[in-house]
Amino acid sequence: MILYESEAKRFFKEQGIPSPPGEVAKTSQEAAEVARKMGKPMNIKPQILVLPGGRAGDFQTAATPEEADRAAKNFLKKTLNGQQVTEVLVEEKLPVQKEVHVAIRVDGAAGAPLIMASLDPLSDLDEEAKASGKVAWRHADPFRGLQSYEARKMAKGLGFTGDAAVKLADQIQRLYKTYSQWNALAAGFNPLVMTPEGNFFAAGAFLEIDDSALFRFPQLRELSLSRILDPLAREGKTIGVTYVGLDGDIGVICTGAGIGMATVDLISKRGRPANFLETGGGITEKQMADVMRLVLKKPGLKGVFLNMYGGINPIHEGAKGVVKVIREDRVSIPVVAKAIGNFQEETWKILEEGGVTVIKTIPTDQAVDELFKRLKK
Amino acid sequence: MSILIDEKTRVMVQGITGRMGAVQTMHMLKAGTKITAGVTPGRGGSRVEGVPVYDSAEEAMAEQEINTSVLFVPGPVCEESCAEAIDAGLKLIILITEHIPTHDTMRIRAYVRSHGATLIGPTTPGVITPGKCRIGIMPTSLFTPGPVGIITRSGTMSYEIAGLLTTEGLGQTTMVGMGGDPVVGTSLIELLDLFNQDPETKVVVVHGEIGGTQEERAAVFIRQKMTKPVIAYMTGKVALEGSRMGHAGAVFVRQRGAMENKIKAFREAGVPIADTPSEIAGLVRSALKG
Repeated sequence: MILYESEAKRFFKEQGIPSPPGEVAKTSQEAAEVARKMGKPMNIKPQILVLPGGRAGDFQTAATPEEADRAAKNFLKKTLNGQQVTEVLVEEKLPVQKEVHVAIRVDGAAGAPLIMASLDPLSDLDEEAKASGKVAWRHADPFRGLQSYEARKMAKGLGFTGDAAVKLADQIQRLYKTYSQWNALAAGFNPLVMTPEGNFFAAGAFLEIDDSALFRFPQLRELSLSRILDPLAREGKTIGVTYVGLDGDIGVICTGAGIGMATVDLISKRGRPANFLETGGGITEKQMADVMRLVLKKPGLKGVFLNMYGGINPIHEGAKGVVKVIREDRVSIPVVAKAIGNFQEETWKILEEGGVTVIKTIPTDQAVDELFKRLKK
Repeated sequence: MSILIDEKTRVMVQGITGRMGAVQTMHMLKAGTKITAGVTPGRGGSRVEGVPVYDSAEEAMAEQEINTSVLFVPGPVCEESCAEAIDAGLKLIILITEHIPTHDTMRIRAYVRSHGATLIGPTTPGVITPGKCRIGIMPTSLFTPGPVGIITRSGTMSYEIAGLLTTEGLGQTTMVGMGGDPVVGTSLIELLDLFNQDPETKVVVVHGEIGGTQEERAAVFIRQKMTKPVIAYMTGKVALEGSRMGHAGAVFVRQRGAMENKIKAFREAGVPIADTPSEIAGLVRSALKG
């Protein structure tokens, strides 16, 4: 779950990380009003969801309330990264002595959090970044977290000394605490600014919370659902499956992520998948019926392809849900299913009786060939 | 021979009385797996499929011969259950559960490793040495003994690959589900190294996918250390930037985790990449001919 910058800053504030003074505005009048109240030059930042490590949103600086009004008006009618901008963050433009970019992410190779800091915008800790000597980085012990002496070493590595090094290290450690407290996959400052008085503020902020940890934060449940922008993907989430919208016309339903990716890859060689969908383990008749109806919601579908493995999943139960929808909703487009594993014979029988073309051999590419033959008819 | 598990493996099932634990215990026993104990707090003294259930791993260890634990416990208690197994002296832990918070997995992995033990998973179908031992959730009928090692990041892809090879008369030494999460207990390199040392494994099939850098790093290992051929099949070519394709670890942002890096790395290491699942058996056959 990715947070808007304004939300990330609220989470940061709870850990004692200050941001430049400011407010969120939904209209240009509100933006101008915030600028008038503050009486200072302001940065106007459109609020869109940006992938950690992805390109940060553009912003404009406004010297007067009139300029703030204009900048906000401009952003609020824009679509950025495919998202309609509905809010802008209006924040004081602080005098900047120095900027530090900090990012924390999960390093799969090390199995530990990786903390990176640089005076330049960070992309990632690739070999080039390591060789440049411009990035201070270290892993945190998953049990102890980031110790203050470790954060101070990073600050010194960036050329900070004395009081400034201690203050910067304190902010990096607070960022780590936020990352840890919220079970984040990524957290960062883009950037943290040091004012001429030597104080630090998170001018840019990002935070992504691990969806698998959301059970620990019931207060974020509603918010996390609203963050899934595609309504079909959101519905998938409520059913308990992963749906990723693609731009084609062949609906795809798979009982696992790996076979799901293979299936959309293979369909893409000859046609265009409408979606990626994987159920994970523990399907039921009802869930598969919900899944069928979800996939069929996409307009203009030419067919539906199911790829099911009976390992942990009772595919014969799932098959009942599939044929129930075909019958009740009078599905007229071809439905082709490959079903292999535990309870396969029972599954084949249910599907065939329900009007589904059943593929009983293993290679997904050959099953996809059958789908296209069926579509041609 | 095989890797990780064989006929000498004695298994404890943590979460044996749960729906999934009980059903899979039945499937494991049917496949010949020697399950000596189950653990569910509060259910000590009962039996599941004839297997004695204990309240704790420690009590199970005191009474039964056990060298491996498989976990079917819910995500929120996995960290504690893994620690319990380690503290009871287990050296191989197979963590089937999916949707474990990544921060928990990082601690589980660190704890297991600091005790000199091995963790497979999480989000894994498990490990199977066909004909000898099946630990996990895979359909047993798709596997058969033979000379091919399989390492995958996905349960369903492991079934597809093993099933295809079995149909073509190409059996497997061991199939290991590495797991689909951003952090896994045992890396692709470590598993390749185990197969490299196993005299019966003649060729290894790797299923890789978008996300992380396991494949890129493994390619270097293959080039420098691997003495037997490796074949790859890759999934996630059609993924969108930033979209998690079902697995928590199957996501790329800009270059990090992107498919092209993985394909390039494998090509440079001389690893043949099957374009479709149907091609895998042919590539394995040519590799076996050497």
